[in-house]
Amino acid sequence: MRDVYVIGAGQTPFGSFPDRSYRDLFAEAYGATRDSVDSGIETDEIDEAVVATLGVGGRQLGLSGPAVTEHVGLHNVPCSRTENACGAGGFAVRQGVQAIKSGMADVVLAGGFEVMTDLSGDVTKYWLGVSGETEWERLTGTTFSGVYAQMASAYMEKHDATKEDLSRVAVKNHGNGAKNPKAHLGFECSLEDAVSAPAVADPLNLYHCCPTSDGAAAVLLASEDVVDEYTDERVRVAGTGAASERVGLAQRDSYTEISASSEAADRAYERAGIDPDDLDFAEVHDCFAIAELIAYEDLGFCDRGEAPRLLREGVTDPDGDLPVNTSGGLKSKGHPIGATGTGQVVEAFDQLTGRAGDRQLENPRYGLTHNVGGSGGATAVHVFENEEVAQ
Amino acid sequence: MMGFESVGAYAPRYRLTADAVTDAWGQFHGAGISETAVPAGDEDTLTMAYEAASRALEAGDVDPDAVSHLFLGTTTPPYEEEALSPRLASFLDLDDALETRQFAGSTRAGVDALTSGLEVADGTVLVVATDAPRGAHDDEIEHAGGAGAAAVVLTPDGAGTVTDRAERVSPFPGTRFRPAGEAETTGLGVTGYDRRAFTETVTAAADALEIDLSAVDAVCLQSPNGKLPYRAAGSLGVDSETLQAGTTVHDLGDTGAASVLLGFASALEDGHENLVLLGYGSGGGATAVAVDATDVAVATTLEGRETLRYGEYLRVRGDVTSGEPDGGGAYVSVPSWKRTIPQRHRLVAGRCEECGSLEFPPEGACPDCGALEAYDEVSLPGTGTVEAATVIGQGGAPPEFVEQQAREGSFVSAVVALDGPRDDDGTVSTPTQVLTGADETVEVGNRVEATIRRIYTQEGVTRYGFKMQLAAE
Repeated sequence: MRDVYVIGAGQTPFGSFPDRSYRDLFAEAYGATRDSVDSGIETDEIDEAVVATLGVGGRQLGLSGPAVTEHVGLHNVPCSRTENACGAGGFAVRQGVQAIKSGMADVVLAGGFEVMTDLSGDVTKYWLGVSGETEWERLTGTTFSGVYAQMASAYMEKHDATKEDLSRVAVKNHGNGAKNPKAHLGFECSLEDAVSAPAVADPLNLYHCCPTSDGAAAVLLASEDVVDEYTDERVRVAGTGAASERVGLAQRDSYTEISASSEAADRAYERAGIDPDDLDFAEVHDCFAIAELIAYEDLGFCDRGEAPRLLREGVTDPDGDLPVNTSGGLKSKGHPIGATGTGQVVEAFDQLTGRAGDRQLENPRYGLTHNVGGSGGATAVHVFENEEVAQ
Repeated sequence: MMGFESVGAYAPRYRLTADAVTDAWGQFHGAGISETAVPAGDEDTLTMAYEAASRALEAGDVDPDAVSHLFLGTTTPPYEEEALSPRLASFLDLDDALETRQFAGSTRAGVDALTSGLEVADGTVLVVATDAPRGAHDDEIEHAGGAGAAAVVLTPDGAGTVTDRAERVSPFPGTRFRPAGEAETTGLGVTGYDRRAFTETVTAAADALEIDLSAVDAVCLQSPNGKLPYRAAGSLGVDSETLQAGTTVHDLGDTGAASVLLGFASALEDGHENLVLLGYGSGGGATAVAVDATDVAVATTLEGRETLRYGEYLRVRGDVTSGEPDGGGAYVSVPSWKRTIPQRHRLVAGRCEECGSLEFPPEGACPDCGALEAYDEVSLPGTGTVEAATVIGQGGAPPEFVEQQAREGSFVSAVVALDGPRDDDGTVSTPTQVLTGADETVEVGNRVEATIRRIYTQEGVTRYGFKMQLAAE
């Protein structure tokens, strides 16, 4: 099957823009994405579009894909919407890759958007819970903070992990986000700040939870047959993997790992022909601090129970062996649900093409993105490679 | 004639002291009452009925399947129209070939349920009296108002026997009433008239008995407050110790329709055997039942475990909370809730026909072997072990649980591994709330057991289901 390349990626700032429309945000991300293509691209060169959104607030739940692509003048293309809660964007990219690999398209736009901050607190809480298991889990009075807190309680019982370890995720990711002009919460925080923040769902506190954000992000994918028309800097989708898992936590075999993530990662590594050791950086789905710890283990960065050690030793710091969430992650960069997965690819693209500004890593070759829906009901993992660094 | 097999009684863990009310109002009108029992935010007369009835069935080692009649009395049902008995029967796993009656109209409803149960020719009768009277905040009915439930199992072979019975009525309007559509019970407060209504009516019923009340161990007399029963002592011909042995009013408050049967349970717990039950309802009427209660089994949970400040009391009762916020909640339709009632009420799990492993709820592919939709129903014992837990703090609850949190404060949401019915069974996990007192925390590894509480109310329909509580050590 044909290889697929990322020829452009762009996003709006993530943040609180309650007076902006979702179409307006998508248009800005689309413009930034087009602008990032070295040789430029016209809208009529795009063969297909895949758009990710949960539709928070109930805005445009039906036909939400064409509602934004038609708005930016992308007419008469196959356009569909993906929905896998917070993991929708990763799956939009995956569908784009599939369309190109199958030969049905040469250039695909994979985008995502969400507007979350124009709602009342009560309406927001309603929407934050709709992707959990609603018939049983939600009816114990939980939203996602509660479910991830349950995972944290099980993890801390099973492994040597403390609230300080959870807080180290916040310190690291805020440190990175402070260097990202697109970050929603682009400020640094101290370990003391992060440890002493008010409780949200014990053992998780405010600094262990990502914000709700507005924003849009998009990625342009091209086949190996046309990639040279757009860029000389070839960022290849080296491998992609995805998997599903039971939606309710109680139904799972383990509460301290997400099997959808480990399965998706295994497949992505296998297709890329690499090991986790080969990665130069990763953007992981840190919706809650415990999620980043579990991600390290699901993605094979360390053995089970070793994630706290990676954080304590600075392995995933920007100057460590495997920098994680150089963008700031969901914690600091922000989490506009439908835009999060494609936003991760924006960071991977920027790092692999030397556009990451103050966050730029030195000549990375392989970068990974890891995008999770809900508490682990669906995960998409992608491995990207800068082919020039390879040579 | 039916005899008494066993008795169960329950009062909520919360207490409001007379002093706390005095601090708030400058006075306390619940004469002779030191504290009152207060239902938790997720309790009501239906959940208390379950607590009392399950204790009565267990105390008498009565198979729920054997129950042929369920008679329920209360003046404060959660719904003024819509029968409670079918849900209570479901909580208790009673057979659906069940005769049910619901009694209301006055505080005599509990004793009415009992005397009607005594009329049943054959079978096993479960009588439940449950109540939580309320009045205006500055009113004596509110100050005296407590909460609790008591249940009695009657069988033809029951050890306790009724030796005599009598009923009398006398028209006394205005002493205690609740107009249609009102939430608060009130009375005209014509002191001498009210006393006369009570004393004359109960004395008339007692006088109609052939036995001499001075000879009994305890008279379980309706107790609207802690003083009125003793005003009838002279005309009844009993001493105050005999009345005190048959009432819980001093510690639980006015328990309305449950008052007499709670006093009965308390007297049995204290070893009294020769008893007279003397129910009274405004309107007015009285019923006297003389009982030889030798060898009647009894199980009660009546102790207070947590004392509320007055502000907390108003919160817990939902008097100062604002209900479910706008914005909607996770929508589980009533028909789809109904489909899962065996699971919500009784933890009915499935055993995979292919591999024998347990699944809860029993639907979808078997978690072990992947077989589809082939489960045999099995009832779980209702015990389990906490596998993961969190405390949902202020602001962390989804909209449909905001009212619960406003009333009860932070709550524990957990994943619990439910024990299987057989020793060689594995566990099957479910999300659940775990009830905790102010001094209790929930840790991974804690043992828990199931009870029934209100889960939430949407579109006016309250969903009842299991919640866990820390198992007794």
